[in-house]
Amino acid sequence: MVDDPDARAGEDAAHLEGCSECRGRFEGISDDARAVATLLAVHDAHVDVAGAFDRMLAAPAAQRRPIFRLPLIRPGRRPVVLAFAAVLAGVALIAAVVAGDLTLNFEPNTVTPVPVTVADMQALSQLSNYGDITWTKQPQLQAATSASDAEALAGMTAPVVSNLPSSVSKNITYGAMTQAEAVFTFSAEKARAAATTQGKTLPALPAGMDGATLTIKVGPAIGEIYGDLQKPAAGSDISQLTLPQLVVVKSSAPSATSTQVTVRQIEDYVLAQPGITPELKAAVQAIGDPSTTLLIPIPVAYTTSKDVTVQGVKGVALGDNTGVGAGVIWVKNGVVYAVAGSIKVDEAIAIANNLK
Amino acid sequence: MNLGTRRMSTVRSDDEAFEDLFTAEYARVVRIANRVLADPHEAEDVAQEVFIDFHRLHSATAQYAPAWLHRAAAHTSLNRLRGARRRQKREVAQALEEGERTLDPQKQVEVDEDRRQVRVALGRLAPKPAAALAMRASGLSYAEVAQALGVGIGQVGTLLRRAEAALRKEVTRGTSN
Repeated sequence: MVDDPDARAGEDAAHLEGCSECRGRFEGISDDARAVATLLAVHDAHVDVAGAFDRMLAAPAAQRRPIFRLPLIRPGRRPVVLAFAAVLAGVALIAAVVAGDLTLNFEPNTVTPVPVTVADMQALSQLSNYGDITWTKQPQLQAATSASDAEALAGMTAPVVSNLPSSVSKNITYGAMTQAEAVFTFSAEKARAAATTQGKTLPALPAGMDGATLTIKVGPAIGEIYGDLQKPAAGSDISQLTLPQLVVVKSSAPSATSTQVTVRQIEDYVLAQPGITPELKAAVQAIGDPSTTLLIPIPVAYTTSKDVTVQGVKGVALGDNTGVGAGVIWVKNGVVYAVAGSIKVDEAIAIANNLK
Repeated sequence: MNLGTRRMSTVRSDDEAFEDLFTAEYARVVRIANRVLADPHEAEDVAQEVFIDFHRLHSATAQYAPAWLHRAAAHTSLNRLRGARRRQKREVAQALEEGERTLDPQKQVEVDEDRRQVRVALGRLAPKPAAALAMRASGLSYAEVAQALGVGIGQVGTLLRRAEAALRKEVTRGTSN
């Protein structure tokens, strides 16, 4: 009504005439609106659109980056968080089962990318067919506006990028995750049922496997997202979401402990299940020294990887120099670091080496 | 149309879509930035930056393109307003411009001072209300403001009223200090 005189009609207008309280409020609001219109008055900018367009195209920074389309993610915040948590647990679980160390604690110090397909990841979610996954500590994910808020939640210092490429925005969104702890309890009954639905029989059950538990701890972790994570307007194609320019993640290395059987036995048995694809199984078994290796599942389409030395330790660089997407992952002193984004792999390595 | 021509026209259509978007939105993006910065030259700088960012990472055919541009224009210019670098630059530019103006020098100093106070006050508001004011004052409809800020159209009126009251309060606070 304040902005649009035509809106003052009918019952509203009649009420306004008769009610001194509402009239007083309306006048106050109108007064604010008029005052602000005056305060914000500026000389018009006369623009030469064609000239501006030419200038923009001539700017070196205007070079087009191909859109990095994320796989389809269904909207809805909670399912996404749950899916994220499930993936985290899945990653930790692979890491744990592959660790296969008789000592129950495992601390990976190198990383190896494992090419996975969407089907492989879906196979991971089928782990719940072989037992019960319960969160003994629910991960709390929280966005924070400052490093100190994120540090307070995660209980660890936030990584500092000391050589940000000029093309990357300095707007940082922090995210923090508290430590999450999940317990997977193997259930012979569930595994048998799962095998039956696939028309297969359960592989012979090692002694102590039924009811054996695997406890996975992940995090705490801090993530930093550089640049705006643009939320598309309602109704637009969600696959158009773009990768942030840069994401830096620091997380305590996951750890795994088991009861009744060794982690190695759980690994062998879970990998023998019908729900796990042969590709993932082969990839997992191909790892040379699993006791010290953290496996990072990477979509098959993005697996241009090479070994690199980062901050004096062995790490893995993914992606290429097209700027579509690249990342570096390494483990140092029990902490997993990742630097990734719509940047060149050389830039990712440089950022990683100078991360403080 | 043979396949080769069709393929060429598909390739061209991305560029054409961006040019169309630029032509349709450039003046509005500049207007939003100018409303915040009260400096047409710097507003054009902001518009260039916003379009370059968009061009690098987004498709010009995306439905959210205009809303993205409007929001980026408001936020980028508000960020500049708050930056120390911007303040220094503005003061130097104003000092230079003052020498060229034909308006009564005393009157001009007062106008400049008022404008400066208003921008300082705008920079003190929370980003969302400040962006809403800049967008609305530059001529965006309630629906466009709602889309750009990701709020329901029913919330825009209240958001604007509160922002207007807050801005007046900040300006009064600034002048009484």
